[in-house]
Amino acid sequence: MTAVMNVQNAEERPADERKYKMIAENVSVYYGGIHTVKNITMKFKEKSVTSLIGPSGCGKTTFLRCLNRMHDMTKNARVEGKILLDGEDLYSKDVDPIYHRRKVGMVFQKPNPFPTMSIYDNVAAGLRLNGVRDKKILDEIVEDSLKMAYLWDEVKGDLKKPAMELSGGQQQRVCIARALAIQPEVLLMDEPASALDPIATQKIEETILELAKEFTIIIVTHNMQQAVRVSDYTAFMYLGNLVEFNETKKIFTQPQNELTAKYVQGQFG
Amino acid sequence: MTRLIDPSIKKLSGMMSEMGELATQSIMLAIDSYLYGKNTANQVHQISNEISKRYFEVADLTFDIFLKYQPVADDFRLIRSSIEISYGFSRFGRYAYDIASVREVFGDITECDKSWLIEVSDKVKTMIKDSVLYFAELDIRKSVAMQENEEFVDKLYKQRLPMLINSKDTKCALAEALVLRYLERIADHALFMSDAINYIVTGKHKLPKQL
Amino acid sequence: MMSSIQKRAEYRSLFKHNVRGRLIVDKIAMGIVLACVVIAIIPLGSILVEVFKNGLAALSIEFLTQVPGAIGTGQGGIGPAIQGTLIIIGMSSLIGIPIGVMSGIFLSEFGDNRLGRTVRFFNDVFMEFPSIVLGIFAFLTIVLLLGHFSLWAGAFALSLIMFPIVARTTEESLKLVPLTYREAGLALGLRQWVVTFRIVLSAAKNGMITGILLAVARISGETAPLIMTVLGSSQFFAGFDSPMDALPLRVWRLSLLPYDSAQLQGWGAACVLIMIILAINIGVRYYFATKSSFRGKLLYRIMGGKKQ
Repeated sequence: MTAVMNVQNAEERPADERKYKMIAENVSVYYGGIHTVKNITMKFKEKSVTSLIGPSGCGKTTFLRCLNRMHDMTKNARVEGKILLDGEDLYSKDVDPIYHRRKVGMVFQKPNPFPTMSIYDNVAAGLRLNGVRDKKILDEIVEDSLKMAYLWDEVKGDLKKPAMELSGGQQQRVCIARALAIQPEVLLMDEPASALDPIATQKIEETILELAKEFTIIIVTHNMQQAVRVSDYTAFMYLGNLVEFNETKKIFTQPQNELTAKYVQGQFG
Repeated sequence: MTRLIDPSIKKLSGMMSEMGELATQSIMLAIDSYLYGKNTANQVHQISNEISKRYFEVADLTFDIFLKYQPVADDFRLIRSSIEISYGFSRFGRYAYDIASVREVFGDITECDKSWLIEVSDKVKTMIKDSVLYFAELDIRKSVAMQENEEFVDKLYKQRLPMLINSKDTKCALAEALVLRYLERIADHALFMSDAINYIVTGKHKLPKQL
Repeated sequence: MMSSIQKRAEYRSLFKHNVRGRLIVDKIAMGIVLACVVIAIIPLGSILVEVFKNGLAALSIEFLTQVPGAIGTGQGGIGPAIQGTLIIIGMSSLIGIPIGVMSGIFLSEFGDNRLGRTVRFFNDVFMEFPSIVLGIFAFLTIVLLLGHFSLWAGAFALSLIMFPIVARTTEESLKLVPLTYREAGLALGLRQWVVTFRIVLSAAKNGMITGILLAVARISGETAPLIMTVLGSSQFFAGFDSPMDALPLRVWRLSLLPYDSAQLQGWGAACVLIMIILAINIGVRYYFATKSSFRGKLLYRIMGGKKQ
């Protein structure tokens, strides 16, 4: 509970001197021929939190997964358009997706720590399996990641404990630490708190706000109050289209598009 | 699709309209008491209490809605402004009572020069009716009219007061000064309310200079 | 409200009310199920009892370590048979397990297409081939090619029996691992094969081990293929190229002899075979139970208990 006081409000952070970290240009996704994400262009500033909202099936998770090329492993999925990370197109032919997935980390909806591994092994998994062997460095990075995920104090006594023995909220923070351990620059989160109880949700939100001082975060959420609390910018998607993209405060007090107004007020969805 | 919040918003709007009606009524009565010599202080007092009662009910309802429904966008602006608007209505009631008390305290003042008062009262009556209409229809053109009227009332008030300082008839001068003061305050609050209603429509707090 | 209160009462009265009757039916059904279980276990139990009853008497150091004596005497033992069984299980496993696991991985991770479906179909058909046919096949290919019976041929035949089972169970175990772990692995920037081998495989460990142990137990008892490939012998290990004895073979040969002493030795051999299979099972499970991170009672884990 104490950390809430220390968290900087989004409006106090330096606003528009921030550059664009990631730009999605005319991105479309086809699932077996059906046009599910339609020509979306969005720009994400560095050190900011952007939330994607919209009714179920509007394509926000599909779009999110384009940002780290997760659709490469989906059958029948075809992606068009460009995703520029620091100016480099992730989807160009000479880019190795593996390399870029290390720059763009992902946290999933249901906490999924590797079941056969301890907390330490989970967080270190991305490092070890990518060739980092030095125990001292691993220890350092694991500690740093767990601290960033607000979990270090709770687990530092027993890092060898199996990750599956933690509570849901703690497991999700292990997953966040695991994603952070590979030192990404952008963090994608797919409804990270939807499977958690209110206290755990609060902790995750504190974590997100703290991380936003360093990383670019893009989060898909169904919970509009969460979007208001946590994000600087909000994008509203409907039926695969980007309907409105603006500062969160504006979207939730004075939306420009009527559809947006209807959705955020709960008139459909 | 009716949402959970809709009945509460409807109730809120209903209460606000009631307050508006009551406020209009009280001010008409009060001004007439001064202009035509009727002692309506008790009646006005009663109405003003009714308005106050509703003011607290509106306050409770607004915070209840915030607690339960966490409104956003249009709903949010409506509910946020409701607090300021209902305060405005309660002030109308209060000043109406003050005006009616002047009649009560000073006695019959029908023989005083009422020309200025009649002009100002008419404008103020218009402003009050306008504010209630503006809230009901959310027609932003009314806010321009409101601005003009308030400036008019202000101008007349500033013109008339110095004249009263040199007046021979203390009773009339005092009574007129008090009533003018109250009317000027009512106009001010009406403008304040119109700003709040502007916020509902435009999402901006300041009235735009040109419309 | 959709229906009125009366309607609801009406609906409620439609349900069956013979609670007592239904409890009785429940108990009867349970009884039938238990009876079936007992009927199924009785033969198993009685087999074990018979084997140990008759076979334990034959066990002795001499029995376990000596070559078979002259036919009809009670002398000698089944030493070569034991050695042969162990060697041939080892060799077949070395061939069959890796091939089976790799096929299983292919079918599960990359087999969602025509090729995969074809392979799976043939795998299933192959699993049901009579083992004697596989023995004859091994005979025709290895034995005739090399010109003599040998352990190679036996291992070949047994691995043919082994790998479809291992492939199937590996595939099923891998499929049980939720997609989300693969996604998490990929999202960490790991290559596909690293994800499969280091993450998915270790999560599927338990199921795979069960499958492998099943396959091992199966081949330990196969007799027909061995007849055509290792033939049997009365000597200890004489090279991979020579014929060799094995416990199922020895049991078969001993059981055909009319002498009581031979019969006794047969029971003893059967007893030893069952004990070997049991030992392999417990041993492997013990090894993995101690390595696992699930900290429960040891016996519970060996018997395959999972974390609640």
